[in-house]
Amino acid sequence: MKKLKKGFAIFIFLLPGLFLFVSILIAPIAVSVYRSLYDWNGFSEGTFIGFGNYIELFTNGSIKFMTALKNSLILAFFSVFVQLPFALLLALLLGRGIKREKTFLSIFFMPVLISTVVIGQLWLKIYNPDYGLLNRFLDFVHLGAWKHTWVGEVGTALGSVIVPTIWQYVGYHMLLMYAGVKGVDIDLREAAMLDGATKWQVDRYIVIPIIKPIIRVSVIFAVTGSLKTYDLVRILTEGGPFQTTEVPSTLLENMLFLRNRYGMGSTISVMLIILCFAFALAITAAFKEKD
Amino acid sequence: MESITQKESKPAAKVGIYIFLSIWALINIFPIYFMFTFSLKSNDEIFGKNIIGLPAKWLWSNYATAMKTGNMWLYFLNSIIVTVAAIAISLMAAMMATYAMTRIKWKFSKITNAFFMLGLTIPIQASIVPVYVILSRAHWLNKYSTLIIPYAAFALSMAILICTGFMAEIPSALDEAARIDGCGYFGTFFRIVLPLMKPAVSTVGVYSYLQCWNEFMFANVFISDKAHKTLPVGIKALSGQHTTEWGPIGAALVIATFPTLIAYLFLSRKIQASFIAGAVKG
Amino acid sequence: MKMKRLVSSVLAGLLAVTMIGCTNAPAGGSASSGSSSGSSSAPTTAAESGKITLNMWCIATESDSNRKSYEKAIADMEAKYPDITFNWEAIENQSYKTKIKAAVSANETPDIFFTWSCAFLGDFVEAGKVYCLDEAYEKYKDELPEKMLANTTYDGKHYGVPTTMNIVGLFANMELLGEVGYDEIPGTYDEFIECCDKLKEKGIIPFGCAGKETWCVTEYLESVIEKSAGADTLNSIFAGEASWNNQDVADAVDTFQSLVNNGYFDPSGIGLTNDEVKNNFMAGKYAFYMNGTWNCADFAANEEFFPKVKVGEFPVINADKAKLGQLIGGPSDTLAVSASSPNAAVAADYAFELGKLICHYGYLDGCGLPAWTPYGDTSNVNGLTQTVAGIVADSDTMVLFGDTAMAADSAATYLSYVDQVYGCLLDGQQFIDGLAKDIK
Repeated sequence: MKKLKKGFAIFIFLLPGLFLFVSILIAPIAVSVYRSLYDWNGFSEGTFIGFGNYIELFTNGSIKFMTALKNSLILAFFSVFVQLPFALLLALLLGRGIKREKTFLSIFFMPVLISTVVIGQLWLKIYNPDYGLLNRFLDFVHLGAWKHTWVGEVGTALGSVIVPTIWQYVGYHMLLMYAGVKGVDIDLREAAMLDGATKWQVDRYIVIPIIKPIIRVSVIFAVTGSLKTYDLVRILTEGGPFQTTEVPSTLLENMLFLRNRYGMGSTISVMLIILCFAFALAITAAFKEKD
Repeated sequence: MESITQKESKPAAKVGIYIFLSIWALINIFPIYFMFTFSLKSNDEIFGKNIIGLPAKWLWSNYATAMKTGNMWLYFLNSIIVTVAAIAISLMAAMMATYAMTRIKWKFSKITNAFFMLGLTIPIQASIVPVYVILSRAHWLNKYSTLIIPYAAFALSMAILICTGFMAEIPSALDEAARIDGCGYFGTFFRIVLPLMKPAVSTVGVYSYLQCWNEFMFANVFISDKAHKTLPVGIKALSGQHTTEWGPIGAALVIATFPTLIAYLFLSRKIQASFIAGAVKG
Repeated sequence: MKMKRLVSSVLAGLLAVTMIGCTNAPAGGSASSGSSSGSSSAPTTAAESGKITLNMWCIATESDSNRKSYEKAIADMEAKYPDITFNWEAIENQSYKTKIKAAVSANETPDIFFTWSCAFLGDFVEAGKVYCLDEAYEKYKDELPEKMLANTTYDGKHYGVPTTMNIVGLFANMELLGEVGYDEIPGTYDEFIECCDKLKEKGIIPFGCAGKETWCVTEYLESVIEKSAGADTLNSIFAGEASWNNQDVADAVDTFQSLVNNGYFDPSGIGLTNDEVKNNFMAGKYAFYMNGTWNCADFAANEEFFPKVKVGEFPVINADKAKLGQLIGGPSDTLAVSASSPNAAVAADYAFELGKLICHYGYLDGCGLPAWTPYGDTSNVNGLTQTVAGIVADSDTMVLFGDTAMAADSAATYLSYVDQVYGCLLDGQQFIDGLAKDIK
């Protein structure tokens, strides 16, 4: 009887979530897996080709899937090792309860609230080869030789996309971590301070271990977000020059809606789902091991 | 970290921290200034003549243009309705699911949790057509719920993940005690756990908001009638095929963003309060 | 002109007759909910049972230059056919491509929809999603020359109603040309190059071209290829009837690249969008700007810039194979009717009449050249558009923009090769070898 009651409770608690999840998210995955086995343009009859799309994805260099994957992994790397530590630093500093804490918190979060269209336009003005702020600044400090057509040259384009992406979402991770930091029991903090610990030591040995679950969430968001990054690439480089800044999402969209290769687009999305999921599980496992 | 062990109650260190925070604040506030001045310029100034200065001519007419095109106020209202409803639904569903998966012991709880994480992996572009087909078969297009349900679903995984993080911070002794006192699962959830999840509610709210408010792809494809269009689609319609006046787009973006900023500033106090409340009780 | 009016009113009568034949169709449920804001016609007194609803999607958003012509055309149509409730939605150009393809996949296309000609519409036709317009066309033959339907004809059947069309024009800033002693756009290629050299000496950049948007590069490259290898060669290559492996094309690509290497192009161009380049041109940074003639209306609207600008045709490079009058462009903006429309026959007639009106008003506004035979007083059309209309009237052959003419997948491959040519990663030989290999 008790067991039945428990089962019923679990069922009711999960029902709304599962309903949304299966109907809107899982069904399309199933469709994508199915379509990835077809050569199909999206409208007419498709032809079943088995794993043909998967093989082509890795063997046909002109699809640029490997370039796209590499780019998004580079972004993920910077996101985890530059963006997150920085966000954590900000969260810890603000979490101590310094003066003007709320004002700083709100300001640091603002770039996240602003539409990517505006952020993209702003960075285009920074990178513009003729009147852009960056080149003008380099002229000003007599480093004219360092000037570049930032988003148009192979050597600088990827970096030009990564910098704004990392910058815009620092606040995103900071707020999440800050919420965690604020959740830490104040008594714990004060007790440690009374024992003579410095603020840094409190952060290091008390706060960080407690907010580890939140840090894990942040890492997962950062990695899956990087693999699916899209907006700023579209605005800043459109995947160019010569497709060197393509990311999986831009390729995917091109296949689905530009090149009319719906089957290949589905293949890319299946690969992307597998990769993201594998990373998410690996990150969870890595955090468990450390405990 | 070990190397920085000096007590930074020293004024020098404190000043250092404030200088650092202030510089970062300046960098982050600049886009707001940029957006605002952008919205008052003509293409002439935006491209070349005066990219970051104050406008030479303050074109308030850009705002009139932006508001006159289409029915911006209606789109704004639609965006609010869709976003608020989607957040509410996904939040409730996420908290309930998280409770079932982390506070009730059963065999498949871990796997179910991992299953929900799949939601983070799905590229939205790939689900447009399948979801469209589902909605079309169900004759469920051109309504508010056409967007609310998919938005709630797409926000769900993230919400569950955040809630899991926060629920882990609540000592499980609390709800176990309640259960021993004779509270059922539902009673424990609504009376004990839910009030303690206030910080999670505000955090999830903010993050789901970010996902829904600017969403364009679903809104573009699923809604084909003026009465239910949302703001991002309305703003996009300010670009022409071959020519685009950027000023009115800037103005529309200001209109779309500033209420958000104000609401956020207002809410951040509440959020702050909820953090502290949560911390004290925990 | 009077004759034309008479013809069209007779046609209208015919249309009304056809419509009566369709009155059995169920009345649209959403007749009142989303009716067009542009509608100014009074509520009709016609019997409710005679009403049908037609829906249309197009890309004439509120800020599109074609918006006014759509509004006027639709207002005329609504006044003329009070029994038809006409709802229309305008979607932004880029996102429309996604929307319409998703809608075709899900069978959710409206009765009438905007589309681009050739491959874009061709895929829908092949899938059986588009209504054949042969029958309806019979009534409009006299006003719409059949050659204008060439881009929307598949297996000998017509599937699209063209509205306006555009070609690539060579726009010149005459103020800058004046500084080096020209008061006309040079007519021969040698003079043209001489002019570019003089401009360069004076420190004026001859060409502006947005490398971030490859279609802008094709406006230049395709003109150079056409004026070297000839229009027929290029047409048959785009149509897939001839191989890319063509020495004339390789030489033309090398010619184009020498223009780049000689420093005639703005080196910053590789990092710029078309919006940025166009504004640079209007600000007097470049002497020439090759782009679609849809720019005419914009240039004409700028009081400061309009007196300085002229438009012309790119000069012939190889007179043995090419000649003046061979142009890049043609009808691409098209209205099509959905095969699944419950009122397809009415929609077909409606699309033709609407297309004709959009074309008419669009031409008067300078948004493009008419695919339909122009009527009414056209003397107020801006000077640039009139010049272009003259060029088109004297034209010999047109080659549609490569990325519109080719199938979607091939077009993307083609654009990526063009990109590499502009970046000088490939020469002419590699260009034709690669395309011959990668495009089937």
